[in-house]
Amino acid sequence: MRKINLLVSITAISTMGFLYLPLVAVAFFSVNNTKYGLAWKGFTLDWYIKLFQNELILHAAWNTLVLAVVSTIVSTILGTILAIGMDRFPWPRRMNTSLDLTLHLPVIIPDIIFAAAMVVAFGFLRSLSSIFEPGLLNMIIAHITFQTAFVALVVRSRLVSIGKEIEEAARDLYADTTYLLLKVTLPLLMPGIVAGAMLAFTLSLDDFVISFFTAGPDSVTLPLYIYAAVRRVVTPQIHALSTIVLLVTIVLVICMERFTRRKNIK
Amino acid sequence: MKSGWIWPQKKSRCSMNKLMIWYGELITGKKLMKRGLFFLTPGMLWLILFLVLPGLILVVVSFAGRGSYGELVWEFGLDNYKRLIGFGIFGWTPDYIYILLRSLLVAIVTTLISVILSYPLCFYIARKPERTRYLWLTIVIIPFWTNMVIRTYSWFLILAPEMPLAKIAAFFNLVDPGMPLYPSAFAVYLGMISMFLPFVALPLFSSIERLDWTLVEAAQDLYASNYRIFMHAILPQTLPGLSVGIILTLVPAMGMFVVPDLLGGAKYMLVGNLIQQQFGASRDWAFGAAISMGLMVLTMFSLYLYKRKIKDIDLL
Amino acid sequence: MKKLMLLVLAFLVLLSSSAWSDGGVLKIFTWSEYMDEESMPQEFEKATGIKVHLDMYESNEEMMAKLQAGGLGQYDIIIPSDYIMPSLINLNLLTPLDHSKIPNIKNVGQKFTEVTFDPGNKYSVGWQWGTVGLMYNKAKLKESDVASWAILFDPAKNPGSFYLIDSVREMLGIALVYLGYDFNSNNPKELKAASDLLIDTKKRKTCLGFKGGVGGKNDVISGIADAAIVYNGDAIQTVSKEPEKYGFIVPQEGSEIWIDSMCIPAKAPNLEAAHKWINWVLEPEVGASLSNYNQYATPNDAAIPFLTKEDLENPGIWPTPEIAKTLHFVKDLGKDNNMIDQAWTRVKSH
Repeated sequence: MRKINLLVSITAISTMGFLYLPLVAVAFFSVNNTKYGLAWKGFTLDWYIKLFQNELILHAAWNTLVLAVVSTIVSTILGTILAIGMDRFPWPRRMNTSLDLTLHLPVIIPDIIFAAAMVVAFGFLRSLSSIFEPGLLNMIIAHITFQTAFVALVVRSRLVSIGKEIEEAARDLYADTTYLLLKVTLPLLMPGIVAGAMLAFTLSLDDFVISFFTAGPDSVTLPLYIYAAVRRVVTPQIHALSTIVLLVTIVLVICMERFTRRKNIK
Repeated sequence: MKSGWIWPQKKSRCSMNKLMIWYGELITGKKLMKRGLFFLTPGMLWLILFLVLPGLILVVVSFAGRGSYGELVWEFGLDNYKRLIGFGIFGWTPDYIYILLRSLLVAIVTTLISVILSYPLCFYIARKPERTRYLWLTIVIIPFWTNMVIRTYSWFLILAPEMPLAKIAAFFNLVDPGMPLYPSAFAVYLGMISMFLPFVALPLFSSIERLDWTLVEAAQDLYASNYRIFMHAILPQTLPGLSVGIILTLVPAMGMFVVPDLLGGAKYMLVGNLIQQQFGASRDWAFGAAISMGLMVLTMFSLYLYKRKIKDIDLL
Repeated sequence: MKKLMLLVLAFLVLLSSSAWSDGGVLKIFTWSEYMDEESMPQEFEKATGIKVHLDMYESNEEMMAKLQAGGLGQYDIIIPSDYIMPSLINLNLLTPLDHSKIPNIKNVGQKFTEVTFDPGNKYSVGWQWGTVGLMYNKAKLKESDVASWAILFDPAKNPGSFYLIDSVREMLGIALVYLGYDFNSNNPKELKAASDLLIDTKKRKTCLGFKGGVGGKNDVISGIADAAIVYNGDAIQTVSKEPEKYGFIVPQEGSEIWIDSMCIPAKAPNLEAAHKWINWVLEPEVGASLSNYNQYATPNDAAIPFLTKEDLENPGIWPTPEIAKTLHFVKDLGKDNNMIDQAWTRVKSH
C-alpha cells in the first residue's frame, strides 16, 4: 500500500509541475536580457518597462478590460433573472428541459462552432445596420451570450440549494413579491451571483476563439494581440505581457476561490 | 426539489384561474405565469436571438454555396456535405474524414491521458487534511483559468532546441540536433493535455471527495488485487464525476484550433483548424458551416449523455 | 431593468462607433513589416497632422477574409497584391481613386500605370513590387545547393529544417513550375500533382510546416529554421546586413513576381486622409526611403534617383533579365479560383 501511495504522490506532484511548466517558462524568460534566442543573459525588467510605452498593448489591455466589465455586468443581470425565472416557477417539464438544454449549449459546444455562428449571424445583421461591423459591440454581444448561460447555471444551482423554506416562511409573514425578492431571495443569492459574475469575468478576460472571430481592427484584445505576435516572432516583450496577464488571472482566481469557499462554509 | 407539479396537466382556462399555493403564496396560475414570464423573457430572448437563431442560420448557410470570389451565394445544395464525405473536385479524397478521425483520435488520447493523470492527482488532494485541501485545489484550478494562448505558446520555449527536452530527443535520435520539438504531433498532444487536464480533474475531484473509502477497505480486507480494487470499488463510485469530466473534454478537444495552429504548424490539422480556415483564408463560409454541423452532431450526442449523468453530480 | 439595458446598449453603440473623430485618423491595413512601422506613420503625421493606425496581415486571403467579414468601413488604405485585384473590383469592395487629389501620380512608372488588372490606375496605385524566393542560412546550405527548388521538394536532398510559405498562390505556383507546369495552371490533374507534391514535402521530418513570409524570415534569423520561402525584400533586409550568414535566391525553375498597390476600400471612413497618404507616398523622397527601408523595388520612377546604389545593383531586388524570364505574375482565375482554394485546403488538411 505504501508503495502505491508513493507512486500516487509522485505522479500527482509531477502532474501539477507539468501544469505549471508553461506558466513558469513564460515568467522565467520574461526577465531574460536577450532579444533572440533562449540563452540566459542576465536579469532585466526592461521588457516590462517597454510594455508600458507600447500604445498598441495599452489599447489592447483597455479593450480587454472594457469588454470584460461591460459583458459581465449585463450577463450577470440577465443570467440571474433568468435563473430565478427558471427555478422559482412551475413550468411544464418539457419547457424546463428545453430551457435547460439551451443553457447548457454554450458550455458543451466547442466555442469555434459558436464563433462561426456569430460570424454568419453578424454578417446578416450587418445588412440591416452598420453598427454590427466586427468590433467591440459584436464582441460584447457574443461574450454576453455565452456568459449569461454560465451565470444562469451557477445562480440556479445556488437557488436550488437555498430551497424554499425561507421564502415560504417569509410569505407566511405576509411578505409581498418585491419585498421577498429584494430582502430575502437576493441577499441569500448573493454568493451565487458573485460567483457567477466572477466566472463570467474570467471567461471573458481569457477568451480567445470568440473574440478572434468577432474582433475588428480597433478592438484587439490582449489574447488576440499575443496570438498575432507569436505567429510572427516571439519576443521577451510578449513574455512580459503574458506574465502580467497570468498574474492578474491568478489573483482573480484566488479571490474567487476564497470568496466562494468562505461563503459556502457559511 | 420543487414541491410537486401544481401546474395543471391540462391547460384548461378555468384551472388557470384556480388559486393554488406556490412557495407559501396564494396565487392564481395565470398571475404566476405572468410573473414567471417577466423573469424569463429578457434572458431567454437574448439567448434565442444570439444563440439559437445564429445556430439556425448556420445550419441554413451550410447548404449554401461559394461564389468565385469567396462570397456567399444562395444556391442551395448538398455540395458541402458531399465534399465533407470526400467527393471534391479532385475525385474522391478521404481528406476531411482523415481530419475528423484525427481530431477524434487526438481528443480520445488527450482525454485518456488526462484521466490517467487525474486520478492520482485527485487522490492526492482528497487525502489531504481539510484545511489544506482547498489550497491544493486552488493550485490546480489556477492553470485552468489562465489564458489558453499564453499556455500554448509557452511550449515554444519549452520545446526549443536549446532546452533540455529537445536536447534529450536529439540524443536519442528522435529529431535532428538543433531542431525544436515543434511543430509536431507530440507538441500538439502536450499542449492539449496541459490544456484539458483540469477539465477532467475538477469534476473527478468532486466525485473522489465523496468517495466511500470503506468500500475500498473492504476490498482490501478481501485480498483483492490493486487492479480489482480500482475497477470495482473506486471506478464505479467516481463514474459520475468521471463522465462529466470526459464529456467536458472530448468534444471541446475536437473543436480546438489554437493548439494545433501554434504547435502543429499546419502539419497536423484538426477540425477546429479546418473550420477556422474556411472562415479565414479559404473564404468558404458555406463549407465552414457544413463542417461545423458535422462537429455539432457529435456535440449534441455528447450533450445528451451529459444530461443523463448530470443528475448525479454537482458541478456548477 | 429594461431601461438599464437600453442605457447599456446605447453606451455600447457609442463605444463601438469609432472613438476617433474622422478628421484625424488614417487606418491602414497592410502586410506586416512592410514599412518602418514606427517612423513612417510619424513622418506622415508630421507632414499632414493625421494620425496613423496600422493593422497587419500575412496574406492576401487573410486580408480579403477580413474585408468580406465586414472590414469595409474600418480601413482607409489596404495594400493588396495584383492577382487579388479582380476579386476586389468585381465584388465592389473598392472606392475609385480621385486623381485630382493625387497630383504625384505622375511619378509612377509607365509599366505601373498600365497594369493589366487596373489600367489607368482607377482603383490602385503601385506601392512596391518584388518576388518570392528562398532565404537560407549560409552555414548550412551552399549557393549551389539552393539553385533549384529541388532542395526542398526532392526527398533525396537535405535542406535542414525549412518552412514553406503559407500563401496559396505562391506556394502552389512554385510547386507547379517545379513540376514543369504553368505557374497559373487551372488544370485539375496538374493541381492535384502540385498539391500531392506539397503534401509529401510537408510530411517530411525536416519540414516545419507553413508560415507567412515574415514569420519564416524571422525564424531563419533566430535559427529555428535553416531555410524558408519568403518575399525578397524581407530577406534582403537581413541578407544585405549580414551577407556571409544569410543568402537569398530565386531558384531556377522560377517563382512569382508581384505588385502590391494601395487601394481604398469601399466604405473607408476617411477618404481625404487616404488620398493624402497615397499622394505623400508618391513623393520621390518618401518612396525612396520606403524602398531603402523594406528593400523592395519601387514603382515610383521619381524615387529611383534617391535609392541606394547597392539596392539598385542587387539582383535580388531588381531582377536581371534572365531571372525576370522565370518570374510569373499570378493571374486571377475567375471561377477556377474555387479549384485553387480546394487544392490548398487539400494540402493543409492532409
